[in-house]
Amino acid sequence: MAHDREVLRMIWEGQIGICFQADSDEIVGIKPEPFYLMVSRLSYLPLVTDKVRKYFTRYIAAEHQEGAVWFDFNGTPLRLHYPIGVLYDLLHPDEDSTPWCLTIHFSKFPEDALVKLNTKELLESHFLSCLKEADVLKHRGLVISAMQKKDHNQLWLGLINEKFDQFWAVNRRLMEPYSDQESFKNIPVRFYNDDDFTYMQKLISPLSESGQKKNLSDLMAELSTPVRKAVGFRTHGIDLHEETQLQWVSEHLSYPDNFLHLSVDYKSL
Amino acid sequence: MRRYLIYKIKHNYRDFQNIPKSTMTDTEDTQSAATTTSITSTAPTDKDAAKICVLLNATGNVPIIKKRTWTVDPNKTVSWIQKFIHKYLKLDSNEQIFLYVNQTFAPAPDQIIKNLYDCHGTNGKLVLYYCKNQAWG
Repeated sequence: MAHDREVLRMIWEGQIGICFQADSDEIVGIKPEPFYLMVSRLSYLPLVTDKVRKYFTRYIAAEHQEGAVWFDFNGTPLRLHYPIGVLYDLLHPDEDSTPWCLTIHFSKFPEDALVKLNTKELLESHFLSCLKEADVLKHRGLVISAMQKKDHNQLWLGLINEKFDQFWAVNRRLMEPYSDQESFKNIPVRFYNDDDFTYMQKLISPLSESGQKKNLSDLMAELSTPVRKAVGFRTHGIDLHEETQLQWVSEHLSYPDNFLHLSVDYKSL
Repeated sequence: MRRYLIYKIKHNYRDFQNIPKSTMTDTEDTQSAATTTSITSTAPTDKDAAKICVLLNATGNVPIIKKRTWTVDPNKTVSWIQKFIHKYLKLDSNEQIFLYVNQTFAPAPDQIIKNLYDCHGTNGKLVLYYCKNQAWG
C-alpha cells in the first residue's frame, strides 16, 4: 500500500525546464527565438510539445512542416518513448546549465536510432504495454487484466492531463501487493548505465532467499560482478539511500509506466 | 481459396525478387528442418555468444511458420525479429507484424531479446506470438 502520499506527490510534481531551439538547416528566413517550457519529468516528449511544434512550424520550410518531429541534445537523438526524466538523468546536463537545451527537428527522422513512437496513439499503446508487462512481473498480470478499459483510459488521461488524483485513483491498485501478499512477486525495474540508452532488465525479487525484505544495498550486491561493483542508484534526479527497502522504492518511485528506471553507478574492481 | 492461393503465390514471387539473397538462404534452409535453427543475419557475428531459444506461435489469420523453435542472438531487438518474420512470410510492405510475449503485452520495438528472456522466459524458452493485427492491445 502506498502510504507515503507526499512522496508520490513530490515525484509527480518534478519538472524540467527546457529551452527548445530550431534546427538552423530547416529554417527559412529569420531565425526564431528559442521556446521555453516547464515539462513534467514523468511525461513524454510527444505529449508536451504540441505548442513547441506549433511555434516553430511557421519558420520551417513548407515541405517539412508535416514531418515527424524529433529532438536531440548535443547531437544525441532522444527516444520519444522514454519518460523525459529518464532522458534528462541519463544525459545528466551540468547542474548549472539549466534550462536543458534541446533542438527540435522536422525532417530526417533518424529511423535507425529512434523508434517512431511519435504520435499520442502509438505512445498510448506503448504505455499500456509497459503497464501490462509491469503487472505481469508484480502480480502475474492479474490486477491489470481485472481492470476495465475505462480504468486504462483513466491512467492514460491522468498522465497526459497531469492529474495526480485521477491517475493515482487507478494506479493505487497496481501499486499494492496482491491480496494477502506483503510484496510484489518481482520488481519491474530497468537498469541504465551511464548515458547509454540501452537498459538491462531481469527478475528482481523484493525478498531475499530467507524471506526478508531486500534493501538497495542487497540489490547492489545482486548486480555486482567480480569485475565491477554497483555502488549507487539514481532516479528522478535523486540519489537513493542504500538502506531504502526495494518494495517501498517500487511503490513510490516508479514512473507512471510502473517501472523503476534506475541509473546504476558502477566501480571497476 | 484457390484464387487466394494464386494471389499469394504471385505476390510471394514478386517479393522473392526483392529480398536480399542472404536472408532467403536462411529461410530456405529452415523450411524442412525440425531441429532448432539459428535466425542469422547476413554476417553471423560472435557465434560463441549464448543464443536464446525462441518459440514462435502464429495467432489470428497470419500464415504459420512451420519451424517454431529458433535461436536468436540475445542482443537482437524485437523489431529485428518482426522484420525477420515479415521477410520469412514474404508479406507485403504495407502489412505489419505485431509481437506479443506470452499472449500478454507487446514489447517495445527496441527492447532486446535478452531482457525479455530473463524476465519472461519459461522452461528455457521465450514464447512469442505474432500476428498481423493487434491481438492483446
